[in-house]
Amino acid sequence: MGWRRWTAIAGVAAGVGLTVALLGAGLGHDPNALPDTMVGKPAPEFGLGTIDGGQHVQLASLRSQVVILNFWASWCVACRTEEGVLQDTYQRYRDRGVTVLGITFQDSATNAQAYAADRGITWPLLDDPQSGTALAYGVTGLPETYFIAPDGKVAYKQIGPVTQELVAREVKRLQPEAVR
Amino acid sequence: MTALLRVVELAMAAALLAAAAALAYAATFDPEASGSVEQRAHQVAATLKCPVCHDLSAADSPAPVAQQMRAKIASELRAGRTPDQVRADFVTAYGDWILLSPPQRGLNLLPWLAPGLLGLAGLALVAVSIRRWSQVPVVTAAVGPPLDEADRRLIEKAMAAVGNEIE
Repeated sequence: MGWRRWTAIAGVAAGVGLTVALLGAGLGHDPNALPDTMVGKPAPEFGLGTIDGGQHVQLASLRSQVVILNFWASWCVACRTEEGVLQDTYQRYRDRGVTVLGITFQDSATNAQAYAADRGITWPLLDDPQSGTALAYGVTGLPETYFIAPDGKVAYKQIGPVTQELVAREVKRLQPEAVR
Repeated sequence: MTALLRVVELAMAAALLAAAAALAYAATFDPEASGSVEQRAHQVAATLKCPVCHDLSAADSPAPVAQQMRAKIASELRAGRTPDQVRADFVTAYGDWILLSPPQRGLNLLPWLAPGLLGLAGLALVAVSIRRWSQVPVVTAAVGPPLDEADRRLIEKAMAAVGNEIE
């Protein structure tokens, strides 16, 4: 065979190989998976009032603590499955350098307040009326939880309900003395 | 007659200049840099996806979060930030997928470059094929080893015999 034929075969093989490689890369990638772009970056600052208007919480004032930032809503069914975990985490670690904060997303303060009273939620719940904080964190759905390290950087992002194991793992990683 | 031609030439030149100016304006016009803050915010929102919708821009979606995105964009523009800075904030929070048009870098360049490269390859193939088809094949006589004296005599004898048969 002449060099022209070999060149043509090599060209076709390269084209087929490239197509298969691209298809393979596409098959190995979940199109619905969202990148954790915030992880490793400084957590966006915020200053928000609690849903009962009683307090104002500034993220900057919580530096040196682990902040577990949970975006939720009273209408969010999936959020109910993690309430026990968040309540337990708040009770267990509140005096050990770990803060749990809830931020409402697409919810009214009135509805959130009524829901929290009904469910016996005691960790601080903040109102984000124009979703400015949610947009700054890149919230796409509920629930979403961000673990902010003592240095103020986002250390982990959980899409979907958190579990006891996940919280214990992240707290141990970010604030080892809290679990001793 | 000459004066009329001169006028027609001038008119055509003026029309060409006007067309070129219009094209240049269209190419350099930046809608995000003109108009009211709301209009500019709408232009920026049109380049961003609504994060809770399927393939709808933040400008087109009726979802509350899209409305809040538009409000946030307008507020940032009012504060003196540029459209690119506002977009960069959303990319920081959400990633590149929040942009309706993927950034032209890395593998994302493939869809932009592939049509051009494939077009060039096709043109090259057509050019090579046309060149090959238009070439007149050159037939060359077969060149063999020189005849020796015995072969020559045999050929002459055979040709003479053929000549005798024809006569």
